[in-house]
Amino acid sequence: MNQKHVVGSRVIAALLLLAIVQVSLQVGLAEPSNTTTPVVVPQQVVARLTTRNNQPVTVNGLSANTGASILTGATIETGADQSATVNLGSLGSLDIAPNTKLVLTYDDQGNVKVVLVYGCAVLTAKKKTTGEIATDQGTAAKNDPAAGGVLNVCFPQGAAAPTVNPGVATTAPAATGGGSGGLFGLGTAATIAIFGGIGAAALTPLFFQDNPSGSNP
Amino acid sequence: MHFVPLRGLLILAIGLCLFLIQASARFGVSRMFARYALATNSIEAADEAVQLTPSDPEAHRARATIFNRLQKPDEAAKSLEKATSLRYRDDYLWIDLGNTREELGDTDAALAALDQAVRWAPYYAHTRWQRGNLLLRMGRANDAFTDLRRAALANPRYAPNLIDLAWGISRKDLKTTESLLDIQNDKERLGLIRYLARNGKGREVIDEIGFLTIPLSTEHKTELAQLLFNSKAFKEAFALRQGAQETSLINAGFEDPLVLNESGFDWIIAPPQKNRLAIDVSEKSSGAKSLQINLDGSWTPGTPLLSQTFIVDPNTSYRLSFAVKTKDLVTGGPPVIVVNDAVNNQLLGKSDNFPTATSPWTKLSFDFKTLPTSQAAVIRLQRNNCDSSPCPIFGTLWLDEFSIEQTIIALKR
Repeated sequence: MNQKHVVGSRVIAALLLLAIVQVSLQVGLAEPSNTTTPVVVPQQVVARLTTRNNQPVTVNGLSANTGASILTGATIETGADQSATVNLGSLGSLDIAPNTKLVLTYDDQGNVKVVLVYGCAVLTAKKKTTGEIATDQGTAAKNDPAAGGVLNVCFPQGAAAPTVNPGVATTAPAATGGGSGGLFGLGTAATIAIFGGIGAAALTPLFFQDNPSGSNP
Repeated sequence: MHFVPLRGLLILAIGLCLFLIQASARFGVSRMFARYALATNSIEAADEAVQLTPSDPEAHRARATIFNRLQKPDEAAKSLEKATSLRYRDDYLWIDLGNTREELGDTDAALAALDQAVRWAPYYAHTRWQRGNLLLRMGRANDAFTDLRRAALANPRYAPNLIDLAWGISRKDLKTTESLLDIQNDKERLGLIRYLARNGKGREVIDEIGFLTIPLSTEHKTELAQLLFNSKAFKEAFALRQGAQETSLINAGFEDPLVLNESGFDWIIAPPQKNRLAIDVSEKSSGAKSLQINLDGSWTPGTPLLSQTFIVDPNTSYRLSFAVKTKDLVTGGPPVIVVNDAVNNQLLGKSDNFPTATSPWTKLSFDFKTLPTSQAAVIRLQRNNCDSSPCPIFGTLWLDEFSIEQTIIALKR
């Protein structure tokens, strides 16, 4: 290699280095700044919605499913085959029956109020929580905050007055199994159905894709 | 000699087939048990499914679902942890686990599960939506809205819910709501404006419209005015529709064609009555046309035939004037014009009874005072009750030259 080639190579190397440094510098400048000021949001209790069988219900006129956040003042509405539970954390919980519309308000001072427009609701208030279920006719049920308690009120559409039910309402799903006889006490018909379906089920594919959402939406 | 390896191969193939048949049968029976368990909430059936195929995540998931339904989240979490270990790329399993852990009160573990859900489905809305909601409940609003915004970007179905959450968590503070939404373009801002209009926030709607980079199209103006009208933000609805906030009537002399709207600021005609009303060019009190109403007997007293909503100032006196002409009008319950408050429907004023039989154009007027809370009022053409029932009405009447004027300046509180 002669002297000319050596000098040429050095010049090219220097230019290349300069180019790389410049590109890096520009990329660095183009990077979005991380100085976004955090938004100050008032601290508050945020409740959580769980819907039965993952059927969506309506919150403030919008569809909402399990895992949705419920803020104070929310209007919650369930259809004929929908029911839901609102977990109010340290305040308690609210079970909402099908065909119900209500307005839920609460605060971090231990007050929970349900205004039942129509339908049935069960408010379970923990100790030190003042729970109340009201209708447009006024307060239907209120608990003693020292003891907490369960308020169970029904005010079906067209009813003249709300009904206050004593005790704890059934919050377990309606489809709880029962019956006797047959396999595991599942009932004869069910046992026949199970064994009848074995042939068809045996054809079920053995392997499934393990990521249902795939790589792209 | 070469038959020996062939026979061996055959036996091996038969053995493999038998194994596959047995495995398929076990799998199928397990799935049947899982489905049955879900249909009947039977823990026994779910346990049997798990016992038959301990490496099938669906069996564990079914078991978890039942425990969750029976409000036993601790057992549900164990099953879901097993399921996620067997199928760790399933974002829905991670979401179920996150929700169950949150139910148990372990929000950090719930967040770890939802982090996995986002990891395996990073471009989908549902994973970000779930994690965003959890972060919001954990008091990390800024992180939460980063996820929630990305969810709404991935699936615009979440956009109204996003706005609703931002509006609620900011305690209806528009500036905080805007910051949480991080509005980048007119489309996003229009989404917020629609939400505000639907919730009757007229002043905020007008303010937000001012921030749009491109002026509102007529179509959007009409849509927003309608939303504001429906949520009883009458003043802003009228300003958006007509470009002014002054008290005036639309098509007061019936010179323009009747527009058959169901709501809004123009004349509203009760749908069953629309065939009875027509613009008449031969009869008029002023201008070139009037409104002709043909009555064939049936018109329930108290039911408005024609109405119009108009803007008023609170605590203010007005005079409403109009011209009426009748021909062969026979009834025991003559028509009248009434004015009610648009929000609470309280009666503010009422005209004299319309002349019966046949009468020339007659000017009628009456004064009324708005309520301290009034924003708008409604003019209605309706009938008085008869002394006895039935109460038919026959004949023809014409209306023209409606006008409204303020008589006493508002007593501002």
